Amino acid sequence: MTSLTRTRSRIDWSGIAFAIVLTLLIVGPLVVVATWAFTEVWRYPNIIPQKFGFRFWGQTLGRPDVWNALMLSLKLSTVVTLLSALICLPAAYAFARMKFPGRDILFFSFLAGHAFPKFGLLVAIAAIFLQLNLIGTFWGVVLIQLVGTLMFMIWIPVAAFQAVDRRMEEAARDVGASPLRVFWSITLPQAGPTIFAAVLLSFVGTFYETEGAWLIGAPGIRTMPVLMISYINNQMVIQYGAVLSVLLWVPSFIALMFARRVIGGGAFARGFGG
Amino acid sequence: MSEFVERAAPPLAETAASRRPFGLLLVAIPVFLVIWLVIWPAINAISRTIWRVDADGNTGFDLSSYAFFFSDRYSLDNLAVTLWTTMVCAVLLLVICLPIALYLRFSQGRLPAYVQALAILPMFVPSIILAFAFIRVLGPNGMIDILLNAVGLPKIRTPYLTPWGPVIGLVWDNIPLTVLILLSGLGSVANQFIEAARDVGANAFRVFWHIILPRISNSILVALSFSVLGIFSSFTLPYLLGPASPEMLGPFMQRTLRDLQDPIGAMTQAVVAFGFCILFGLFYVRSVARNRGK
Repeated sequence: MTSLTRTRSRIDWSGIAFAIVLTLLIVGPLVVVATWAFTEVWRYPNIIPQKFGFRFWGQTLGRPDVWNALMLSLKLSTVVTLLSALICLPAAYAFARMKFPGRDILFFSFLAGHAFPKFGLLVAIAAIFLQLNLIGTFWGVVLIQLVGTLMFMIWIPVAAFQAVDRRMEEAARDVGASPLRVFWSITLPQAGPTIFAAVLLSFVGTFYETEGAWLIGAPGIRTMPVLMISYINNQMVIQYGAVLSVLLWVPSFIALMFARRVIGGGAFARGFGG
Repeated sequence: MSEFVERAAPPLAETAASRRPFGLLLVAIPVFLVIWLVIWPAINAISRTIWRVDADGNTGFDLSSYAFFFSDRYSLDNLAVTLWTTMVCAVLLLVICLPIALYLRFSQGRLPAYVQALAILPMFVPSIILAFAFIRVLGPNGMIDILLNAVGLPKIRTPYLTPWGPVIGLVWDNIPLTVLILLSGLGSVANQFIEAARDVGANAFRVFWHIILPRISNSILVALSFSVLGIFSSFTLPYLLGPASPEMLGPFMQRTLRDLQDPIGAMTQAVVAFGFCILFGLFYVRSVARNRGK
């Protein structure tokens, strides 16, 4: 609250305090993990590692379970994202532009998943998959992760389609362009960047999705996050987990860069009900 | 996002009539998925746990799985630790995020931008990496122990594998959205209100209590609902950082379903979780829908 009384010339003490505390608490742990990834020897109680090096990068990347998990995760994320785009983008266009009975209630039905505690819902879905023999299968995990992407992949593109300038579309129609031509040349280029951001978010979100993959996929489907769980639980070599963490963080970092355009201006928080 | 909605023009008249069934067709698959994999599982979980087949093969109303849950010491301990964790996390989140949001709302410049970037960063750290970082920092012989040892202090009693482990992890994980939701609520508090109150001599606390708090109470409730829904049935962090017994409902459900092969038991636990969260869930959904509908 000191910020209310603060004038321009005084030093922003509360800001400095927040910056220091948050740097220690939020960046600090990540720096420790990154340090471990480039460490060859670090024995307690030395404050810095005795020996830095890349030895464990070679060892971690040489493990077949890491490669299998990475390939499986990329395949899963690609399949889920493509399927999601295939079924959600036309639906988003319909929600944004067409009138049909029950439009509003169907649009808000995608919120239903958010009224339940998530893992409870996953367990309820798993009980159904158990009867359908989808447990431990690739397509079982695809289905559960697909449901997780629905709301993002419909709501963000709906906003994108609605933001397209209707007068430009009508002008194009007036000079004789076909509806498909209008969509391809006018609508898509304007809505494209936001839709791309939604697709990217759903790819990255699926890549990191842990709970559905673990609950539905185990033991047959081992994605990167599931492999990481087993490394945390059973792996004695700390560096394997650290190297995986740094590797795993790369897609997230790309998402961070792209999400800036979607998240800006508090619009994102309003999407969450703020 | 919502500003886009406001600009939505009414659909063209000629397309409205001719494409009526076509629009329904386009939304059919996602809507079917929501019904099949969200609404139906919830109904199925409730109906299969209260409407069960008895020993003679007759189907009948039977609450025995709930009777077991609420009389079993272990289940009740798990429920208690879940409620405790959720409550402690909710309080901690408010205590931590409200000052950050207030600071960000009333300052501008490069330092607040840095603080905001830090507060949002955990959103882009997958919880699995967070769990690993937690163990390396707060676990036995972790970074904190190393630093304490270096200045000649005794080691900490590590929160790893205690109920405080999931609390710390979940609070860390939920800071970004709580800050963003509170910040968006604070955006609706006009500067004139505050200046007017200050002109008549109100101090910072009174401004906060009488001017700001009443205007952001809805945002506080939304932020709380969102974190309660996420924390109550969280799985990854309690599973990796929490004690094996008592365990939170998330790991408990997973173990009941996959290790004990008891879907009825797991669904009973899921329905209990639904019951405890229903008010928060409905409130949250209503707020989001109202924001979108505006």
